[in-house]
Amino acid sequence: MHNEEYIASGILELYAAGGLTPPEREEVEHRAATSPEIRLALDEACAVMESYASCYAISPRTELKDKIMQQIANPQKTEGTIISGEDIPVYTLPYPKEGNEGSAYKWMMAASIVFFLFSGWLSFHFYTKWQEAEQRLAGVIASEQLMAHNYRSTSFQLQQQETLLSILQNPDFKVIALHGVEAHPEAKMKVYWNAMQQQVYVDQGELPIPPAGKQYQLWALKDGKPIDAGMIDVSDGKAGLQQMKNISSTQTFAVTLEPAGGSKKPTLEKLTVLGNV
Amino acid sequence: MTNQQQPIIKLCEEELVARLRARDTSAMAVLYDMYSATLYGVVLQIVKIDETAEDVLQDAFVKIWNSFENYDTTKGRLFTWMINICRNQAIDAIRSKQHRVNNKTEDIAGNAHSGISSDEFKPDHIGVRDMVNDLNPEQKQVIDLMYFEGLTQSEIAEAYNIPLGTVKTRARSAVKVLSRFFKSRA
Repeated sequence: MHNEEYIASGILELYAAGGLTPPEREEVEHRAATSPEIRLALDEACAVMESYASCYAISPRTELKDKIMQQIANPQKTEGTIISGEDIPVYTLPYPKEGNEGSAYKWMMAASIVFFLFSGWLSFHFYTKWQEAEQRLAGVIASEQLMAHNYRSTSFQLQQQETLLSILQNPDFKVIALHGVEAHPEAKMKVYWNAMQQQVYVDQGELPIPPAGKQYQLWALKDGKPIDAGMIDVSDGKAGLQQMKNISSTQTFAVTLEPAGGSKKPTLEKLTVLGNV
Repeated sequence: MTNQQQPIIKLCEEELVARLRARDTSAMAVLYDMYSATLYGVVLQIVKIDETAEDVLQDAFVKIWNSFENYDTTKGRLFTWMINICRNQAIDAIRSKQHRVNNKTEDIAGNAHSGISSDEFKPDHIGVRDMVNDLNPEQKQVIDLMYFEGLTQSEIAEAYNIPLGTVKTRARSAVKVLSRFFKSRA
């Protein structure tokens, strides 16, 4: 294509107005670089569009020049500034949000620490109170048990005294004093016997402390024949009031030391105390 | 173009280019003072939002500075090279933004700046309305679609159902009308 035809085709005007694709632009630039005639026509078309553009000229804010000159003077900051410039909507919005969230988390963190410390103190406080209450309760239970024990022993003693009193007041009861045999002169005991009701009690026994595995046994002798009247409960060498087996008739009461649990026949060598009705 | 104006600009341009090639930052300040208003006006026509236009102009000037060795004086005027950088930057900005917000390419092509170009901007040194009267609406539409929307001749032909030859003719006659108009005013 001749230069005149090329100029007349309108491609230079399209170039100036920006209506060409990049390959088409390169082609025009190449033609312009090789032909002064085309170059002049191209410059003219471009100058027209430059004038057209200047119709819309508006001065930007003066700050923009400083920003640009600063960015050009400090190339290190260039990339960062470009990035932040391009992404202002993306970066500036999240940052305050994140800050708020961060401080909210800080407050929540602080609140939860305070709450944790407070609940820790509260737990310790109530644990101490609980321990104190437990101790006091244990003390109360112990004293209550002691009282109950005292009450039981007292009422037992009272019962014993009442029984003894009823025995002593009852004219049907005979009081038989048993005396120590030669081997145990210091031993003694009393037997209360109601022949009518066949009741037998022992009391005020002072017997030698039995060796281990041995127990004292009461015998009733009827016509020289021994009848088992039960085992005697002895503590610390003393026998308190206690009811024995029923005996209908007898002439003599005797106590022998027998193996624990008692024997069918008395071991006469171990006779301790003896008394006649 | 007028005969008195061109040599002076050419001289300035040569000197400017030489100083910029020598990495003289003060030359950049001169360049800014000379062209920022025109470049900013075009960018604003394209992106329509002040902040975006400022960002685009800033990025464009940095690009001009950083890639100045790519400017080839044999290929064309300095302003042409610069306005191409600015327009590409601005068109990238609106296309990425449009892409993000909503895909209304056709909508934009449809309204074609008719509202914004003459009514909102009234530069005092040239009566844009006078010029618009000389330029018929079809001619104006074609060059504005190219210059302010970045559409190529074939894209316009396709989008507006105009034969490619007609697009070419309208663009060429628009430039001729404008050329006459500016010569008569000078």
